[in-house]
Amino acid sequence: MQLNNALLGILAISLTGCVTSRIEDDRAQGTGIEDGESVVVMAKSYHQGNETEADYIACVENALGKGSDAVRVIPNQQFVDNLFPWFEPRTAPADTKGLPGLMGRPGVEAAVREMGVRYIVWLDGDTERVAEGGSLSCAAGPGGGGCFGFAWWQNDSDYEATVWDLDVHEHAGTISADVTGTSFLPAIVVPIPLIARPQAKACKGLATQLRAFIVQ
Amino acid sequence: MIVKYCLASVTSLALFMLVGCSSTVTMEMPTIPEPRIEKIPVDVAVRIPAQFQDFVHSEEVLGKDTWTIHLGSSNAAFFTQLFGFMFENVTILGPDDDARDYQFDALVEPSIEGFEFSVPSQSQTNAFAVWIRYRIAVFDSIGNSASSWTVSAYGKSQKEGLGGSDSLRRAAILAMRDAAALIIMQMDKVTDIRKLADGPLESADDEPGKMTAGAASEEQSNEPDSVIGVFAIGGIDDAAE
Repeated sequence: MQLNNALLGILAISLTGCVTSRIEDDRAQGTGIEDGESVVVMAKSYHQGNETEADYIACVENALGKGSDAVRVIPNQQFVDNLFPWFEPRTAPADTKGLPGLMGRPGVEAAVREMGVRYIVWLDGDTERVAEGGSLSCAAGPGGGGCFGFAWWQNDSDYEATVWDLDVHEHAGTISADVTGTSFLPAIVVPIPLIARPQAKACKGLATQLRAFIVQ
Repeated sequence: MIVKYCLASVTSLALFMLVGCSSTVTMEMPTIPEPRIEKIPVDVAVRIPAQFQDFVHSEEVLGKDTWTIHLGSSNAAFFTQLFGFMFENVTILGPDDDARDYQFDALVEPSIEGFEFSVPSQSQTNAFAVWIRYRIAVFDSIGNSASSWTVSAYGKSQKEGLGGSDSLRRAAILAMRDAAALIIMQMDKVTDIRKLADGPLESADDEPGKMTAGAASEEQSNEPDSVIGVFAIGGIDDAAE
């Protein structure tokens, strides 16, 4: 039984595509988080051309909130609704220069304090297919069917997280994740997918680095 | 008999294909959160136009499929809620109500000037986008035109699921929410509606004429720089007119 599980595990690992990743951080100032303080993860505005996927944001939120050194995460929709209309795609501050003025708006600072939000993490970037090739054809007849050929594609997940410290209204630093994954689909009668998941890797890598960056 | 069956089958297949090539999205009643603002101390009457009771927009995409969006009375609910949050006292008037029967400082008449959307097959992206152009007309208590303001709003939502109806609905809701944010932040500056609490306009010289959100934000706004920058981007729809 254990041998079977081990074989299945080895098979699962071997049936994935190639992934290369680079995670970097650039710290602008010291960080740290106290009990009761929390983080909110936001996408940069689509008014500025940002295409960050909603599922990527959810993935980073979940990853930050799990594990032994988990940080408290406020769901971004709750934060945006609670501070309406100041964090809408049109109105959200583009840099930290606007933060002191924003905090001076009626009820804004009190709402931020009530939610315990210490850091805003702005996510920028997306996953794109950058190359693809090969050919694969399938046919079926009365006696059966099958596929023959080889196809491949390469996805590039390039994300950047900018951290703002709401205690001091300053930019705390930036973390970037650049992950490239190549997937293969060879087929000799039966197609064998070797799928790379760069977005999932970029989510996990960025969230791990982000958590270390904040907790210090 | 066989010919009849064949005809029925072919007709059914054709109908199925036609249905398969059209999508209909029906809006639910949108709600906006209570904004963190101070109410404008003006008694306003809001006239909900007939077009807000059942607004329908259809678009054929490159001869392939047809998308129809039924906004229904969502705009009536949206503006009723929005102006209720923005002003001290709000009276809602129907399209047939006579404004002279009511007491107010300002009469506000929102209307839809334009509605457009794009689907992934048009934009070659993975997103649905909706543009709504509202006109907000403001009159004083005796019917003089005080301001006429174009609000261009934009919402975008990534495609989720197979059909995309939910994504288009979400993009429309985001566009309405975008309009709400712009109206909350700019209406008082652009239309000077606060001054109407002091009484009606005195002469035709006071009429400021038509203004757009983009122009207003650059010339009159005293918002922080970051906000001004985003407003300029929000005005892209005006340039396309």
